[in-house]
Amino acid sequence: MAKPEPRPHTILVTGATDGIGLWLAKSYAGRGHKVLATGRQAIADDAAFFGASNIAYVRADQSAPDEAATRIAAAMAGLGWQQLDLGILNAGLGWAGDPADEPVAEIERQIAVNFTANVLITKALAPWLFIGKGRLAIIGSTAHTGAKGFATYAATKAAMAGFAKSLRSEWQGRAEVTLVHPGPTRTSMHHKAGLSLGAVRAMFMSTKRAGKSIEKSIRKGDDTRKLSRTFGWRSAMSNPKEFQL
Amino acid sequence: MRALVTGAAHGLGRSLIEQLLADGHDVIAVDRDIDPLEELVVSSRGACRAYLVDMANPESISRFFDRTREMTFDLVILNAGISATGKFEDIPSGAYERLIAVNATAPIRLAAQLVGGGQMNPKSRIVFVSSLSHAVGYPGASVYAATKDAIAIYAKSVRKPFKKRGTRVLTVFPGPIRTDHAEKYAPAGAKASKRMDPEKLAAMILKAAKSKSWELWPGTAAQLAKMAASMAPGLTLSAMRKAIFDKLNGPVF
Repeated sequence: MAKPEPRPHTILVTGATDGIGLWLAKSYAGRGHKVLATGRQAIADDAAFFGASNIAYVRADQSAPDEAATRIAAAMAGLGWQQLDLGILNAGLGWAGDPADEPVAEIERQIAVNFTANVLITKALAPWLFIGKGRLAIIGSTAHTGAKGFATYAATKAAMAGFAKSLRSEWQGRAEVTLVHPGPTRTSMHHKAGLSLGAVRAMFMSTKRAGKSIEKSIRKGDDTRKLSRTFGWRSAMSNPKEFQL
Repeated sequence: MRALVTGAAHGLGRSLIEQLLADGHDVIAVDRDIDPLEELVVSSRGACRAYLVDMANPESISRFFDRTREMTFDLVILNAGISATGKFEDIPSGAYERLIAVNATAPIRLAAQLVGGGQMNPKSRIVFVSSLSHAVGYPGASVYAATKDAIAIYAKSVRKPFKKRGTRVLTVFPGPIRTDHAEKYAPAGAKASKRMDPEKLAAMILKAAKSKSWELWPGTAAQLAKMAASMAPGLTLSAMRKAIFDKLNGPVF
């Protein structure tokens, strides 16, 4: 049976200037919640960018993990928040191609942004989550079981899946941990990762559908949930060249 | 045959290089502390060469590549690893950064650069050391477990692309090993006699590296634990919590 819907008041969404993160930030704000959005770009006017007065923005570039975590904690304190009801670790990036050609800088950047920063941000959020028995929601990927054209990305998502599993056990009774693995979604991530998907992109899940499913998993209090449409991320990502239509 | 072993000064790495040298191979032994290797380097009459590399420092790894650019390898064992145990929130951020750098970033980078840079010979082998925690979880070392999950899945992802270039991948999933490293991070009351002998494990790894297997789950205990985790993941995880997390005295990193 589904758990009753938690009614979070304070919500953090990382990587919220685009894609699934932006959709989630706007959706929660639209229902009257207080949202802290993060991203790596500088935004002059938060209200104008997000079209909502209850979304605050803090620049937190996760390629510098410690600084990102410090800035997020400072921003929550600056907003006068007393606790964090829901922290959504959504920010992430990838590099696509033959793993033997993967540049060192790209390996380091993916691990910093998708893994190290999420660990340090979780550590910064822990005391805020423990106050009201809040929920940490980690956005993984269906690539977490392995993908030959996305090797380091898959590794970072496996890291977050394993982290969530052990942390959930550690945090029993203090805070909840939800892990969601979206399949391929129509966001700008693939393009940024150097992948031209062409017409196949149309078969991917829409941002809205991914966002709604993530919200549902959080509401129901799922431990782990895989979201996928017609075909798996694994097939798309393991043969990226086939998808350069 | 020329082998490269990281984390070679102590524990499993030490056993690996001793056996490789005994079999008559050339060994490039890498560690952040190479003093313990001095005697071996001298007695090997040039078969064993030691390189000082701090896996937490990307520049140190770059310098290693500068010095070994002309070298090619038949066997690479990415064994260097550290841990951090305790309640997740009790361990300092700097220790986590170091843990991820040494256990995840360094082996991934070394593998990509060695294979991509043409430093692996035809029909060579690259060995990743993951952990039994990949199957069973590890409350009380959630970030350590995450680094070992990263390695397991990176290794799985690169199997086919690396094989195309002539390098086969082997991933090892050891349970606790009877080394100073394991002793340092073990929960109170843990019996060293129940941990695997590093010499025995080294022999198993070298044997598996000669075979065609992709994976090695060494020992009956590791295989049983893996089986338990696949049949009853929740029960296995809570057993791990009781066996480790509930018995931790305080953070060790």
